[in-house]
Amino acid sequence: MIKSLKQFTKTRSEMVRGMAVAVGLAAVLALPGTGFAQNETPKVGGVLKIAHSTRIATMNVLNLSGPAEYPAIDMLYSGLTRIGMDNHPHPDLAESWSANSDATVFDFKLRPNVTFHDGTPLTSDDVVATFEAIQDPARGASARSVLTMVEKVEAIDNLTVRFTLTVSYADLPVAVAHANARIISAKALAGPKENLENKPNGTGPFKLESYDSSRMTRLVRNDNYFIEGVPYLDAVELHLFPDLTAQSANYLSGNMDVLLAVEQADYDRIDKAPGSNALRVASGRFVNVVMRFDQKPFDDVRVRKALAMSIDRQTLVDVILEGLGRPARDNILSPEYAYVIDSPEIPYDTAAAKQLLADAGYPDGIKIDLVASNRPAIRGQVAIAIKQMALPAGFDINVKSMPHDTYLANYWRKGNFYMAYWGMRSTPDGAFTLLLTSDASYEDTAWNNKEFDAIVAKARSTPDDSERAQLYAEAQKLILRDTPYIIPFFQDVLTASRDGVKGWVVHPLNRVYYIESVWLDRN
Amino acid sequence: MSDFARHPAGVAGAILLTIIALAVLFGPLVAPYDPQAFHTTVRLQGPSADHWLGTDQFGRDLLSRLLFGARSTIAFGVGATMISVIAGSLIGVTAGVVGGWIDSVIMRGLDGMLAVPDLLFVLLIVTMLGAGTGEAMLAVSIAFTPGMARISRSSVLSIRTREYVLAAVARGESQRYIILSEVIPNAIGPIIVEGTIRVSFAIMIGATLGFLGMGAQPPSTEWGLMVSEARQFMYRSPWVVAVPGLAIAVAAMGFNLFGDALRDAFDPRRSR
Amino acid sequence: MSLGYLTRRLFSVLLVLVIVSFAVFAITMILPGNAAVMILGEYATEDQLLALAEVLGLNRPWYIQYFEWAGNILQADWGMSLRLSLPVGEVVGDAFWNSASLAVTALVTVIIVAIPLGILAALYRGSKVDLGIGLFAYVGTAMPEFVTATLLLVFLAGSAGGYLPAGGFIAPNESFPGFVSHVILPAGTLGLILMAHIARQVRSEMSDVLASDYIRAARLKGLRERTVIRRHALPNSLAPAVAVISLDIGYLLGGIIVVEEIFAWPGLGRLLIYALENRDLPVIQAITLLLAAVYALSNLFSDLAIAALDPRVRY
Repeated sequence: MIKSLKQFTKTRSEMVRGMAVAVGLAAVLALPGTGFAQNETPKVGGVLKIAHSTRIATMNVLNLSGPAEYPAIDMLYSGLTRIGMDNHPHPDLAESWSANSDATVFDFKLRPNVTFHDGTPLTSDDVVATFEAIQDPARGASARSVLTMVEKVEAIDNLTVRFTLTVSYADLPVAVAHANARIISAKALAGPKENLENKPNGTGPFKLESYDSSRMTRLVRNDNYFIEGVPYLDAVELHLFPDLTAQSANYLSGNMDVLLAVEQADYDRIDKAPGSNALRVASGRFVNVVMRFDQKPFDDVRVRKALAMSIDRQTLVDVILEGLGRPARDNILSPEYAYVIDSPEIPYDTAAAKQLLADAGYPDGIKIDLVASNRPAIRGQVAIAIKQMALPAGFDINVKSMPHDTYLANYWRKGNFYMAYWGMRSTPDGAFTLLLTSDASYEDTAWNNKEFDAIVAKARSTPDDSERAQLYAEAQKLILRDTPYIIPFFQDVLTASRDGVKGWVVHPLNRVYYIESVWLDRN
Repeated sequence: MSDFARHPAGVAGAILLTIIALAVLFGPLVAPYDPQAFHTTVRLQGPSADHWLGTDQFGRDLLSRLLFGARSTIAFGVGATMISVIAGSLIGVTAGVVGGWIDSVIMRGLDGMLAVPDLLFVLLIVTMLGAGTGEAMLAVSIAFTPGMARISRSSVLSIRTREYVLAAVARGESQRYIILSEVIPNAIGPIIVEGTIRVSFAIMIGATLGFLGMGAQPPSTEWGLMVSEARQFMYRSPWVVAVPGLAIAVAAMGFNLFGDALRDAFDPRRSR
Repeated sequence: MSLGYLTRRLFSVLLVLVIVSFAVFAITMILPGNAAVMILGEYATEDQLLALAEVLGLNRPWYIQYFEWAGNILQADWGMSLRLSLPVGEVVGDAFWNSASLAVTALVTVIIVAIPLGILAALYRGSKVDLGIGLFAYVGTAMPEFVTATLLLVFLAGSAGGYLPAGGFIAPNESFPGFVSHVILPAGTLGLILMAHIARQVRSEMSDVLASDYIRAARLKGLRERTVIRRHALPNSLAPAVAVISLDIGYLLGGIIVVEEIFAWPGLGRLLIYALENRDLPVIQAITLLLAAVYALSNLFSDLAIAALDPRVRY
């Protein structure tokens, strides 16, 4: 079952006007994650067991990034808004919001009578404290990069928070839906760091009962959750199996109900196994080849294009992704993003690539090291495949695999040729300002294209939808012209649940799970 | 030495080692395919006419990878052990011959290093040096050196009191002469035996490091790394795991059997 | 054996541990990344890294870090895990008991199985039984744990075999039958090589003893074979077996690293791998010292046991 996605961001006017509708919807359905037919009555009760293979090292929602940490905090914490499977921001702790006419000031109204798991009531001071922490460089918050336009956050009254922005930004409700921008109590933020890591105190549908990062983390229903009637589950257990074989064996034997992330190699077997249902969600996450513009040989765009033509993208999808993905054409935006344009196909043509290299002054080809961290392992696999594919074109690539921290210390944002790995963003602006603008948070390709920067900045604050579409089209054309990265494919998100587990879905961003909508029907 | 030929374990070991030596020396020459070349239409196949041992997840020929990998895997084990034998013997013989407080200091140091279990020691050193075949080999030789030093030292100590040595001392020979001409030739026996058995451990540790991602790095054809990469495809083609796994076992067994037979041959007092 | 000997041995154990702690410290100082890098990962800027390193105390000179750490150890304060933000004592302590339950189970099984096997092989030397046991011994010693573990997983666990759970852990006090079912495969994997070693050792010692004059005399005296074996041959063969067992503890301590990783057993081995990856120095230190201490003490214990078993040995 493939879930395809439509438009990603609302237009400004829709956003601002849609609140009443949103509130109404929220009251009735209250479930932004409703992606299945509501023709069965959910049963209350039971314990859901989720198998995962990477350790939950921390519950500090500000800077965690582990694949198993996201489901945990999705259950423990709530944000102002939350991305739904329809890719619109839905009310979460904020029951409504409004903006001024040029979208530079936003007011969020919080739900009344919401309490943290420890009983303290949620007030706008907690929201202010959270966003100040996010913007504080010393905290290392992941959401900081999507909130750079926020100048000031203040509490207007007990339940109203006002965001003042430096530029017009209609997508603020999407930005505050960032999975790491969940609301933490002011008290916890002022307390010792260890409590943020190990004793999460949120407003989410589940609260922490026990946390043994080497084995199992157990969350139980929050009876005071602000949405009536959910969650259905009594408890959720996250079980760690660092060995992939043991993990899938435990799932297939029925010991576990959900396999959080399915490996491409196992997908078919897990889908076909009795009692098991695999789920594949098209996503814009990718592995990319970073080639720095400010060093030889990639300072010449012909060399970049030559390498782009030396990669057989469909074969990569077939062999490395086992078909569970789509070939990409070096555009950082996958088809799901709003304002995405069609990219021309890039054929696998090593003869033409060889010619291009000769034109660029490399008639005997290029010998070069390609660095690949071992986390995740797919980086190395793609690197090896590229090495083989690009050989006939004259590229003599030496793959250097290394432990992740050596890569981070010595090559990331410094090396001139390495493999990177990124998940999907909520908006084109999010993707562009993460990686491609000159002042992007994790800029590493030294593209420094002033024209691109200008277009992105203008589009950010343009209220008119069609003008925005035009601007983003120009931006993408620049990307396709200069090839700042080679992006060979978009990788699907893969997960699986057993019969009897209802409502298990994963959002393409791979960070939101809606576990409060999951229920068990064991008979 | 004629005992040796009658010793079935020794003969078995010798046969296995010969096969392995042939693979190491001539493997890359006789391999049917480039070990890194992809054959994407025949991925994860079992043995067939084109690919005698089957193919892996990229469609690479397993037989070719095995033959090329023999060098990385075996040379790793032999190389690491040889370094440790040379270094360890130098240290151990010196300690045994010189005696006195130098001997005591060296022994304390060796005890310290021997206190840490092998794999743990190797992991610590590899973490420090970084992952990779060369680093792993150095780590294993460092870890094995104290053990070899110990053995050479005790070997020397037992020889020191033998008649031929005492005769040389009485003759007034220099210490250097005694070491080179009397001690070392006679101490070598146990050292070689221990060394041969150690190679099998070194191979297994090297494969384990490859498996943990701390030894040989992709796209190396080291056998432990092959097992590690293949495990998630185990259910689709058991050959991808079985072929390199059994190869490791065969190599380790060969050195083990041969070493045991050597030990029995060198020491006629031991019963079979 | 004298008290002086015991004291001297214990002192040298302590000395060894100090050397080990220093060496481990030195090793981690040379590493290219540090815990701050691993915690913040890709999302770090230079100043964030520096700030976190400051908080974790990683920017101070090495000798200050070492002596502060050593001083704390002497007050039984093992510090905080850099990655997990939990007290090291707690984290390592829990892991230790889990590993201990696995190791002890493996060892007990090995002793129960291997010693009789070795005796059988010696008694029926040259027969098919001997050959069979010999073959098992040789194959057993040649298979690295990850190969054995993988084969066991494929054939005996999971959906195909379905007999035994495919990894995971249940504490003995939570559910003893659960603990047993989960411990069988990892203990079996660990035990295989040990069984092979010990069976071979017992066999070769037993063969030597059975051929000795001492036993001939006992037989000539007219004693029943069973008495000969039980009261004369066995005790003399066991002493070297004890020595081998204690040497194998060193192997066991290495073997748990891979076995725990594959079978998802939350013990010291897995914790160590995680700590090494994440440059979590306090945890690495604690585990290394702990394992070195266990090894050193088990060597000491086996020396004492040999002395007890073999009256010819005097300390």
